[in-house]
Amino acid sequence: MWEPQELGAMRSHLSDFKKHRAARIDHYVVEVNKLIIRLEKLTAFDRTNTESAKIRAIEKSVVPWVNDQDVPFCPDCGNKFSIRNRRHHCRLCGSIMCKKCMELISLPLANKLTSASKDSLSTHTSPSQSPNSVHGSRRGSISSVSSVSSVLDEKDDDRIRCCTHCKDTLLKREQQIDEKEHTPDIVKLYEKLRLCMEKVDQKAPEYIKMAASLNAGETTYSLEHASDLRVEVQKVYELIDALSKKILTLDLKQDPPPHPNTLRLQRMIRYSATLFVQEKLLGLMSLPTKEQFEELKKKRKQEIERKRILERQAALESQRRLEERRSDLASRATNGEVVPPRRGPAPLRKAEGWLPLSEGQRQSEDPDPLLQQIHNITSFIRQAKAADRTDEVLMLQENLRQLQDEYDQQQTEKAIELSRRQAEEEDLQREQLQVLREREWEREQGQAASLHTRTRSLDFREIRPFQLEPGREPRTHLAHALDLGSSPAQSSTATKTSPPSLAPEPFRGWSGSPALGQEFLPQSTPSQRSEAPSLNPFDEEEDLASPSAEGTASPPAPEPSLGPPARLLREYNPFEEEEEEEAVAGNPFARPDSPAPNPFDEEDEPPPRTPASLPVPGNPFEEAPCTNPFEEDSDGGQEGAEPIEEELLLQQIDNIKAYIFDAKQCGRLDEVEVLTENLRELKRTLAKQKGGSD
Amino acid sequence: MNVVFAVKQYISKMIEDSGPGMKVLLMDKETTGIVSMVYTQSEILQKEVYLFERIDSQNREIMKHLKAICFLRPTKENVDYLIQELRRPKYSIYFIYFSNVISKSDVKSLAEADEQEVVAEVQEFYGDYIAVNPHLFSLNILGCCQGRNWDPVQLSRTTQGLTALLLSLKKCPMIRYQLSSEAAKRLAECVKQVITKEYELFEFRRTEVPPLLLILDRCDDAITPLLNQWTYQAMVHELLGINNNRIDLSRVPGISKDLREVVLSAENDEFYANNMHLNFAEIGSNIKNLMEDFQKKKPKEQQKLESIADMKAFVENYPQFKKMSGTVSKHVTVVGELSRLVSERNLLEVSEVEQELACQNDHSSALQNVKRLLQNPRVTEFDAARLVMLYALHYERHSSNSLPGLMMDLRNKGVSEKYRKLVSAVIEYGGKRVRGSDLFSPKDAVAITKQFLKGLKTSGYHCVYHWRSHL
Repeated sequence: MWEPQELGAMRSHLSDFKKHRAARIDHYVVEVNKLIIRLEKLTAFDRTNTESAKIRAIEKSVVPWVNDQDVPFCPDCGNKFSIRNRRHHCRLCGSIMCKKCMELISLPLANKLTSASKDSLSTHTSPSQSPNSVHGSRRGSISSVSSVSSVLDEKDDDRIRCCTHCKDTLLKREQQIDEKEHTPDIVKLYEKLRLCMEKVDQKAPEYIKMAASLNAGETTYSLEHASDLRVEVQKVYELIDALSKKILTLDLKQDPPPHPNTLRLQRMIRYSATLFVQEKLLGLMSLPTKEQFEELKKKRKQEIERKRILERQAALESQRRLEERRSDLASRATNGEVVPPRRGPAPLRKAEGWLPLSEGQRQSEDPDPLLQQIHNITSFIRQAKAADRTDEVLMLQENLRQLQDEYDQQQTEKAIELSRRQAEEEDLQREQLQVLREREWEREQGQAASLHTRTRSLDFREIRPFQLEPGREPRTHLAHALDLGSSPAQSSTATKTSPPSLAPEPFRGWSGSPALGQEFLPQSTPSQRSEAPSLNPFDEEEDLASPSAEGTASPPAPEPSLGPPARLLREYNPFEEEEEEEAVAGNPFARPDSPAPNPFDEEDEPPPRTPASLPVPGNPFEEAPCTNPFEEDSDGGQEGAEPIEEELLLQQIDNIKAYIFDAKQCGRLDEVEVLTENLRELKRTLAKQKGGSD
Repeated sequence: MNVVFAVKQYISKMIEDSGPGMKVLLMDKETTGIVSMVYTQSEILQKEVYLFERIDSQNREIMKHLKAICFLRPTKENVDYLIQELRRPKYSIYFIYFSNVISKSDVKSLAEADEQEVVAEVQEFYGDYIAVNPHLFSLNILGCCQGRNWDPVQLSRTTQGLTALLLSLKKCPMIRYQLSSEAAKRLAECVKQVITKEYELFEFRRTEVPPLLLILDRCDDAITPLLNQWTYQAMVHELLGINNNRIDLSRVPGISKDLREVVLSAENDEFYANNMHLNFAEIGSNIKNLMEDFQKKKPKEQQKLESIADMKAFVENYPQFKKMSGTVSKHVTVVGELSRLVSERNLLEVSEVEQELACQNDHSSALQNVKRLLQNPRVTEFDAARLVMLYALHYERHSSNSLPGLMMDLRNKGVSEKYRKLVSAVIEYGGKRVRGSDLFSPKDAVAITKQFLKGLKTSGYHCVYHWRSHL
């Protein structure tokens, strides 16, 4: 609300003030210094062991004595000097006064004054002592006035005579010295108190930082260290409390009682110390116990992993988007002419191409946040695996399982309802059976990977069916239109040729309207069966070719149009792989496929699942997260071996090269890496394809 | 341009500059008020200022272990006190700050008194006004004019206050004043004079549009202050009285001892800060929410503190709880008293008639309503006099003006001479003869509002300080 405001105007009068003061002070200081220098000369020799005559000579040499004749009366009291009322000279200024008006300076006092001016750390005569000694000596001198032997007195070896003026000046000086040296108890205690407070100010934030970090499960600091620090800080607090209490009760029992202001000061110090402790001590959060800490650590780890992966995900996503844009342009430029013929059922296939559709859009359209989450995590897992962080992967898997359970429940409910309707379409089922038989054959080809599938946890199987189901819809068309094997390849070509904006549309439409999806259901079921097996072999091969590709290469060109089932498989792969890590390092791609179809016929899947798997129309498209387009491509290439495919691959390679160049120029090294990986993948696929087709 | 912040910055700077160690703050009567408006005791305690002394207090002990920060108005008495103080210093070192311009000769006489060289700083820090809210300050002057002319003492104090304000905000303004008011003109001239004389001080970075100092005389609108207010701060001010953020509740029936005097400071009281400009009705519901909130936080009695964790939680929450309970009981008391006064003094009805008098032009109905209320025994003589004043101002030149009859009614009601005199005084002060514009024409009001809004738009940062001169 208020704009920043600087300190208001001000004006200093200090220099003026000092100038005026200096004029006044100079005079005074010179005077004092002169006296002290003389005093020093007078005390520089051993007075007790020196003859009085000699002393007198020295004294006279320090300051010229005023001539006796010039002063007939004592200048202070006005008494006439006589034989009885003798003249006395001030040893410091040489002036004359009577005995009554004469003052004496004891040697200790003289020493104190001279040494104090020499260095401030001078002798530590207690303040009460020195004034007393002065007074004592003065009284002595007064008493000696009446004594006849006053002459003897004059030889006092340990005292120096002076006039009242000099003495006053010196006493003032002494007072100043005392004040400088004397620190009352309260100040000492107070200084300690402040030291403690400073310590707290210094340590408490440090502790709070530690405690906060420990409570968050971080391992930056050790728990022991933190608890030590806590104890330390608490001790300081106790000390502050004790000190302020001491200040509060200081001199309380003294007689006479201290000035009310002193008491008030003490009370206020205590009060502010209490405030301080209250405010700061309460800010000290508690530390977790060891067990709690372990738990926290675990939680934290999970969290961090997630965050990190999310970040990476975001980075990849953006990169992917970038690529999308470029490939859009590229595809438009190169393949624009191909578009028109591919209308009707074609959109589906278009979507399957290597064309990266905006993944972000897809995701945002995802109707089910759970699905989004699931697919996020799966991709995290993949990335984690690629980075060889098995512990993270485990954690994430756990996470995923929970999410999937949740999702399963949701979906089974929906599915049950849909399955009822499904039951009515038995005739279609028959068709299905047929396809299944076909598929089994393929599966045999597809190899032993299916064995692993059995080891997979139930949830995957549960989920996969429904997710796959709708995804198959497009395939159905494909299956009808083309021979199964070639479909992916064709579709990929289609995508490239069609403008990107077109490609996603049909999918969206479907995913959006469950009713539509249902219409397709009958068709989709059979296709699903048939497709999965067909995919398998390629997946495997691909895997052999580039076992590590999935993690690194994955995202840049997300393949929206890619047969949704394929995408799903990808997603799930890491997961399964994870599990298999223990068992057999099998083919991740093969597995997802095989289990999905299996439940229906071979694997003795519980019956309710079959129907469940069929409906759920909306999901498949949204599901497709960061799939590796190249893997996809390779699938297609393998299968179809169509001439266009090769062309496209080449084109793709060119594109990627261009991206790499661009990325390098912009200094996005990570991007470059990913792209290079992609490129390699593409080349490999191309080589494979060539080999296959030739 | 936050005046509270401006003064607070000055005080903070003083304390900072004196370095570590125990400190005493030496003030005079006025600067005590200035400091107390911007700093709470506990806040200032944390800066090692443990004692607050009045420079004129004779009962000060010698405490050489304390540093003294002197924040004084540059008056003759203060300089004399300070000279005495420096001759026999009670504290180890003195940091002297004057709240306004001090003469060179005063500095000289202070310097000559400082034989022991205890003074470490002599500065002018222009915190010479009472910062009430960020956008409002006061000089706590009661009665600045005699008739229509300035009381010379108050004129100079007001000039000092205004120039200090300008300096503390670092503004060298263009001055505009109300032409119809001689007092406004005088003040504008005096401020101008100071700016000319101390031109070195006023050399601030020039802005394209110079800041504007607008000096208005209340006489152009004598109506508004006569109306009963219905927002929180204004009601408290009107009905209970606020003096340097302090409210005297000792007259409230059955008041508990620690609520006799409460502090309402927007700086430290969030509830007050949020509600001070809200309507009375809204305050009611907000207070209810506050209470409910409080009930929730209140440690339940049944809930025993069994585990250490319970105790810890309690201890940790307790100060907050305590603070909250203080706030709650304070506001509940204040609002309760306000509503008691409202019903006791029949203020809703009075206010309705006031509004009619101020905003409508129906003479007969207004007269009838005023007469009716004058008969009502629950209407206090103060409110009765105000109604008649409003009538007198509005229908001053009305053909069927029946002011004499109303004056008779006032007399019959037993309204004291003191209040009855105010009716003629207010006409003299803010009557038609004096006013530049027609206050009661609704068309005008709209036009003025429009103009005002326009002004706000074009010069958003010109903060117009309402400076209130009391009648």
